[in-house]
Amino acid sequence: MAIELGIVLDLPAADGDPAALVDLARQAESAGLDLVALRGEAGAEQGLDPWTTAVWLAGRTTRIPIGIAPDLNSPDPGGPGPAYPSVVAKAQQSLEVLAGTRFVTPDAGWVVAPPDAGAEHIRRLADAGAPVVVPARSAEDVRRIAGLVAKENRPAGRSAAVRARRRAGIDYDGVPASLADVAIEPGDPAYRRVTSTYLRGGSPGLVLRPRTSDEVADAVAFARRHRQVPLGLRSGGHGISGRSTNDGGLVIDVGALNGIEVLDAAQRLVRIGPGATWKQVAAALDPYGWALGSGDYGGVGVGGLATAGGIGYLSRRYGLTIDRLRAVELVLADGSRVRTSKQDHADLFWAVRGAGANFGVATAFEFEVSEVRQVGWAQLVLVSTDLEQSLRRYGELTSAAPRDTTVFLVTGRPRQGRSVIQLYAMVDQEDPEVIIERLTPFTELGALAQQQVVRTSYKDVMALAADVGPDGHQGMGEPVSRSAFLPALTGDVARDVTRLLRSGLVYFFELRSMGGAIADTPADETAFAHRTPAFQVTAMGADQSRLNAAWDGLGQHFDGLYLSFDTDLRPQRLGDAFPPRVLSRLRELKRRYDPDNLFRDNFNIDPRLTEEHTR
Amino acid sequence: MTDYGHDLLFGLFVTPSAQNAPRVLELAATADRAGLDLVTFQDHPYQPALLDTWTLLSYAAARTERVRLSGNVLSLPLRPPGVLARAAASLDILSAGRFELGIGAGAFWDGVAAMGGRRLTPSQGVDALREAIAVIRDLWDTDARGVVRHQGPHYPMTGAKRGPKPAHDIQVWVGAYKPRMLALTGAVGDGWLPTVEYLPDGVASLPGLNARIDEAATAAGRAPAAVRRLLNVMNVRFSPTSRGLLDGPPQQWVEQLADLALTHGVTAFLVGGDDHTIAERYAAEVAPAVRELVARERGR
Ligand SMILES: Cc1cc2nc3c(=O)[nH]c(=O)nc-3n(C[C@H](O)[C@H](O)[C@H](O)COP(=O)(O)OP(=O)(O)OC[C@H]3O[C@@H](n4cnc5c(N)ncnc54)[C@H](O)[C@@H]3O)c2cc1C
Repeated sequence: MAIELGIVLDLPAADGDPAALVDLARQAESAGLDLVALRGEAGAEQGLDPWTTAVWLAGRTTRIPIGIAPDLNSPDPGGPGPAYPSVVAKAQQSLEVLAGTRFVTPDAGWVVAPPDAGAEHIRRLADAGAPVVVPARSAEDVRRIAGLVAKENRPAGRSAAVRARRRAGIDYDGVPASLADVAIEPGDPAYRRVTSTYLRGGSPGLVLRPRTSDEVADAVAFARRHRQVPLGLRSGGHGISGRSTNDGGLVIDVGALNGIEVLDAAQRLVRIGPGATWKQVAAALDPYGWALGSGDYGGVGVGGLATAGGIGYLSRRYGLTIDRLRAVELVLADGSRVRTSKQDHADLFWAVRGAGANFGVATAFEFEVSEVRQVGWAQLVLVSTDLEQSLRRYGELTSAAPRDTTVFLVTGRPRQGRSVIQLYAMVDQEDPEVIIERLTPFTELGALAQQQVVRTSYKDVMALAADVGPDGHQGMGEPVSRSAFLPALTGDVARDVTRLLRSGLVYFFELRSMGGAIADTPADETAFAHRTPAFQVTAMGADQSRLNAAWDGLGQHFDGLYLSFDTDLRPQRLGDAFPPRVLSRLRELKRRYDPDNLFRDNFNIDPRLTEEHTR
Repeated sequence: MTDYGHDLLFGLFVTPSAQNAPRVLELAATADRAGLDLVTFQDHPYQPALLDTWTLLSYAAARTERVRLSGNVLSLPLRPPGVLARAAASLDILSAGRFELGIGAGAFWDGVAAMGGRRLTPSQGVDALREAIAVIRDLWDTDARGVVRHQGPHYPMTGAKRGPKPAHDIQVWVGAYKPRMLALTGAVGDGWLPTVEYLPDGVASLPGLNARIDEAATAAGRAPAAVRRLLNVMNVRFSPTSRGLLDGPPQQWVEQLADLALTHGVTAFLVGGDDHTIAERYAAEVAPAVRELVARERGR
């Protein structure tokens, strides 16, 4: 068994020698010891402040973990009371940012050996699994202590400081060997890069990062043994409804499965991993003169979008992203790997196109992509003093537009009676004259404040998304978003939406025009069954319950919702996402393929419930 | 003309950004290497984007050798004086006398409350600070006999052990703008540490505010010179043409700083910008020239 060995130092009284403290810590570090623990001298004068001293030692050494005995932190009874716990917690986080995971929280525990303990004694004390520390007062002591345990019996894995950050209920030592080298836990230096997603902050207990579908199966097996903690699936980290980060749970991050491979050029058949982003996909297809309609933002991952729908700038022309799917490979809850298509596991192939996150981890997608050459692309900013009228007119214009023209509208709270309307438009035509002709009517929705119209490639539009930096996503808190499908943008809708926006509850409001090729696919062909709405609407706010109250009030205008943009967790939302027949079929499949409800981070269809719960 | 005759201190006013932590530490190292006198950090514990300033001060002190450090200013409402006194004394001991205590009554009470601190009115805040300074100095005073007792109401103590004793006479610099805070600064502070951008009329406010401090000092039986005048200038830039305070060529900086010293008695200048080049040029092209100019003028 590996023995973690360190020294314990008496926090000197003011007249002690602080420089000697640093010398001993440095000697322990260069002797390869694993811990410097600080403790108080019994009955001593008011000594140095433990935290300040620990930070000082961390600053004067480079690697060795530093701990503070718990009794040192108890305030003196006649004194002025302790530090605020929130400030103490922040101090510990800050040290981690400054020096890495160096501070060993007292609950990690360590055993103090007597100063004259021999090798045998140390070995016995170490049996409990905690580090052993021996009092040291001189360089000579440190040398002798370091010699007590041979180097090869010292641990090579994570230090006590790192292990002290581990969360309850996770079998860290049981992480499958295939995943152990790239797994990230809270004390690891890379941890801060994997906690957040694009829109959400989190603090998962363990992030598993499989590189192959076999490793995904290992990760799923590990997750099966951890049903009591949350499980998130992550591909590109742009989940809104999908909780791809969490607090204290597991995350299976398939970002490394990001291959893009042309299988058959004649049929335009392309195989894509879930970890690729739509920006990467567009860039890879562009040289062939191809594109695959995705969403409006190139940073989004393939895994989350291609299992839910994919409403984007090319949907009216070529259908939803899932409509281009020919096969999906999944790792199911029981660890089996299946290929789903119209021929194989047709039931799962149906389910994964709209409710995929309930059924497994998608490890590869095969798409038949489209021939797309140059497109027209416009970003217009308009100022409207009559939002209601502008919305109504936008509704008329988009309904009359041909399939090659897709215009999304974004606005927020009106200020001083004026609404800033942003239009994002794609015209799948190469001829500049046609592009201008298609877009001109939209410039009348308000006073044109800015316009940019270019002939470009789909790839360049996707490339507008910023790359995620080396520090990963930086989202904080929780997004607050509601979604709905609109059968039509009537005058009543325009009026009620205008009232909602005036209330200030919604800072981001988006209308996506649908129709066209989306409706060419029969409703029963995919679990995404809302084929006929004219628009998908999204509203983002700051407070979920207040947004819910306002959004529920517009319910009479809506017919269902697109799950990807909705963060409401009330059970009725499941009924909005899936019409009754679709939902009961999905639940039957869920009972068959995931009876223990392992996959549950995104519009979860609980196999143990019935449709009663969603009314 | 007011000149209290203190030696001149040149330093940095650094944002303790968590995201740029390596850069923050490098700025401290640059100041140390380039020969600046002080590195100071704002303290807003409720700001998630910022580091814990106490931890940063301790860590930066450990990674430097000669530069002095201070909070600019520490937020009393989230740093109980008993804890602070001991931590400050400890850092002073560990760093061989390189710590000074910049402190303020607190602001952003929503943030303070969100961290579990008590929400005070501005006037209670002033009283709490006055009490805190007394508590801190008593805890440092190991030559006095017996335990430390304080009535409160903010920081009652029924018998606290004294110590540890700081390695040097730690200066208490107060961030103050309003009359009661200025009066407190004059009565008990070792220094006054405002930010020029927050003064109602910028540098033009200095004579009036200085006079309040002088008055309060005199009323407390102290010499006005017992209170050093420091100044933060957040927005600074070296640029070819002169645009404003510390926004122009180095020679302009030199003249402006010398004027602040000789006309307004300001003898510590802490500049913002969070920028290496500014720090290095400030140390090399400005500080020595200001020292020389002020010495010459004082010698006349
Ligand atoms: C800025 C932005 C713009 C967007 N624009 C559009 C748009 O135009 N059109 C559109 O349709 N949607 C859009 N979305 C929604 C987006 O499609 C979903 O949020 C999607 O889930 C993100 O996928 P991801 O892989 O990046 O996210 P992740 O956060 O990695 O995953 C989100 C969820 O997807 C599921 N999931 C992820 N990977 C897998 C997998 N391999 N197998 C099974 N399930 C998985 C999980 O439930 C997970 O919680 C947008 C989102 C954002 C943030």
